[in-house]
Amino acid sequence: MKSRLFRLLPIIPLVGILCLAAMPAHAAKIRVVTTLTDLADFTRAIGGDLVDVHSLATGVEDTHGVPMKPSFVPMMNRADLMILIGLDMEHAFLPALVEASKNPRIQVGKPGYVDCSKGIIPHDVPKSTDHYAGDVHPYGNPHYMLDPVLAKTAIKNIYNALVEFAPQYQREFVQNRDAYLAKLDAKIADWEREAGPLKGVKFIAYHEEWNYFAARFGMNFFGTVELRPGIDPTPRHIEELIAAMKTEHVPIVVREPQFPEKVPKRIAEQTGATLITLPIMPGGVPNTETYIKMMDYIIHTMVTAIQNRR
Amino acid sequence: MKTILISVVVLFVFCSSGFAQTLEERIKTLEETLKKQEQTIKEQQKVIEELKAEMQKGKPPEQQQVAQPKETPPLAAKETEKPTIEQVQQEVGQLKEEVGQVVEAQKKNILSVFNPAIGFVGESIFSYRSQGSKETGSDRPGGFDFFQRSMELNLAASVDPFAKGYAVINASADPVTGEAKVEIEEAAVQTTSLPWNLTLKAGIFFGEFGRLSYIHDHELPFVNRPLVLDNYIGGESRTIGVQLNYLLPISHYVSLTAGVGNQFGDTPNNVNDFRHFDELNFWGRGSTYFDLTPNVSLETGVSGLWTPKEKDRGGELVQPDGSILTERRRLVVGADVMLRYLPLRNNQFKSLTWGTELLYSDNRYIDNVTGKPAGPLFNRDVGSFGLYSYLAYKLHRQWTVGFLFDWVQNATNNHDQTFAYSPYITWAISHWNQLRLQYTHTTHNAVSPLKDDDAIYLQWAWIIGSHAHGWQER
Repeated sequence: MKSRLFRLLPIIPLVGILCLAAMPAHAAKIRVVTTLTDLADFTRAIGGDLVDVHSLATGVEDTHGVPMKPSFVPMMNRADLMILIGLDMEHAFLPALVEASKNPRIQVGKPGYVDCSKGIIPHDVPKSTDHYAGDVHPYGNPHYMLDPVLAKTAIKNIYNALVEFAPQYQREFVQNRDAYLAKLDAKIADWEREAGPLKGVKFIAYHEEWNYFAARFGMNFFGTVELRPGIDPTPRHIEELIAAMKTEHVPIVVREPQFPEKVPKRIAEQTGATLITLPIMPGGVPNTETYIKMMDYIIHTMVTAIQNRR
Repeated sequence: MKTILISVVVLFVFCSSGFAQTLEERIKTLEETLKKQEQTIKEQQKVIEELKAEMQKGKPPEQQQVAQPKETPPLAAKETEKPTIEQVQQEVGQLKEEVGQVVEAQKKNILSVFNPAIGFVGESIFSYRSQGSKETGSDRPGGFDFFQRSMELNLAASVDPFAKGYAVINASADPVTGEAKVEIEEAAVQTTSLPWNLTLKAGIFFGEFGRLSYIHDHELPFVNRPLVLDNYIGGESRTIGVQLNYLLPISHYVSLTAGVGNQFGDTPNNVNDFRHFDELNFWGRGSTYFDLTPNVSLETGVSGLWTPKEKDRGGELVQPDGSILTERRRLVVGADVMLRYLPLRNNQFKSLTWGTELLYSDNRYIDNVTGKPAGPLFNRDVGSFGLYSYLAYKLHRQWTVGFLFDWVQNATNNHDQTFAYSPYITWAISHWNQLRLQYTHTTHNAVSPLKDDDAIYLQWAWIIGSHAHGWQER
């Protein structure tokens, strides 16, 4: 009798596996991988408890330079949706990771490959992609997420992808999306009111990340510390930039946290401008874990810097 | 017969009802789609009418999805101040310009839609070695040397939804004649949609063995390929064959690769006669990865290469004592480890990498001790070890300093040992333009026929056109 029981023992895990395999697919959460943290925040807001979201970036990285970690591969291998900024923002790490994931659902052109730039009219589309102009993006500047109105296009694209993948949850997604958009619209109104003093203010930053932000809030993005996108500054460029900033009375130098402080600090000291550090995605600096908190931080820091100069 | 007839009739009725049901479902779906389309058209008509009405009133259309040009007044200002017709016309003009830019960008893509991504790599090395080529065993001359090591044309594109193809055509200057020698370095097709986490590659390519043997010369972290890879593999792990890769379907990264081909390294096996299955080269690799902390990672792997029966690979190997060895079996196994500190926040600017690979070569030779055609022949198994280890510290986006240590026992004589010490500094002016200065001191033990030497290398590598950031460059 005992030996018979022992013989039956191996069947138990087998039955367990079969039971797991027989579980309905919809019982599992939708597995989403996003490239950046703002997309993860939006996906969590829309998907709620129905989604399991992982972001490749933690928030502190350069948006163009998230390290290609092999530990991302199994996560992407199982993903139902791969959500990205698009416009070639992630060209340095995503294509190789998507290929290495061997996941047919998230390959380019498949429904699981969700490009959030769909519907965005990009700024600064280059006439040529010759590297003389630096590491330019052939489809235009990809940093549209720093304009909260354009970020709503990303939200729309994420919603569409979730509904297409799991139409049975459309009602939940609509509710979540509308609730989040209402909150975001209220915040946009607040930010526009708060950003009043920023109108016409000139500023420079390390990288060409602020074009859309400047356009939205009526600021003047005067120049970059980098010689060209992705190209480190030369001494001559810094000299010319400092001279131009003095002539044009540029009051703010923005440093994105993934870039070194030394050169922006020197420029600020020599021009009398105020140096501020601003995140480019949620989690870039403390207390900016969500998109709304990050935009709050950016607007508040910018406005405070200007007000302190008066 | 009757039973068969009844069965056929029942089957027909069943199928017909199934078909009818399918048809009904299809009609239902079509009706739903039509309804949705009608709804969409109605909504769009409504939006158009609203826009028309607003335009007539001189108001600008809402542009929530549309990027604003630079120095556009904020929305708050728009709400309070009604824009004039001139302002609206100006905005429309700017918008037209932006849309025009996008259209132009699309045109660029349309023109190149059937063309593969094309890139070109150039790599020049200026060097000075204190000993001549006979004393160093190198195919490059001693003294002053200008070497155009790579002129590499890279092509890559999708073949169809199921595969991609790529080719690397390389030309390098012949050390004797100076003539450019063109060869297909790689030309392979790779599947992109095989099930069960599989990827199949076939053609001429660099087979997966160890960490650096399948990296192109200009992508190495230092100027020259480690001695142990040159000695045991034969330089780059170039093969003509087929390779299958499998990603384990678990939450931890484990990659397994196996391949088979005519050659592995510089020389194919048995080129002139009937090649049996055991005269092919077989290789495999397993690798895994651990995030020790968010900023520190460990990647490790084991590799193996086996040619059960060698014939004429590399020809007759004349030894310093006059004996002649002929390779009859090749077996190389290796283990590699890479420990990396890469701070997430400024990973473009700082990193510290330690990479090491240890190889064991266990080849079998026929030894003609006298070196004469009728001399006695003996079987001889030679087990040799070799390794390289390097430390690279990136102190700025443009600057990296490093040190490479090489040690290798000759694959034909494990008493013959070579050591090399190479400090180097790399200046990456941009992603596509890089200079590297390296000093190498090479020493040999008393058994070796080669002489110690010192060398200085200045390497200049550059890229134009398309350059993909491949998985192996991680």
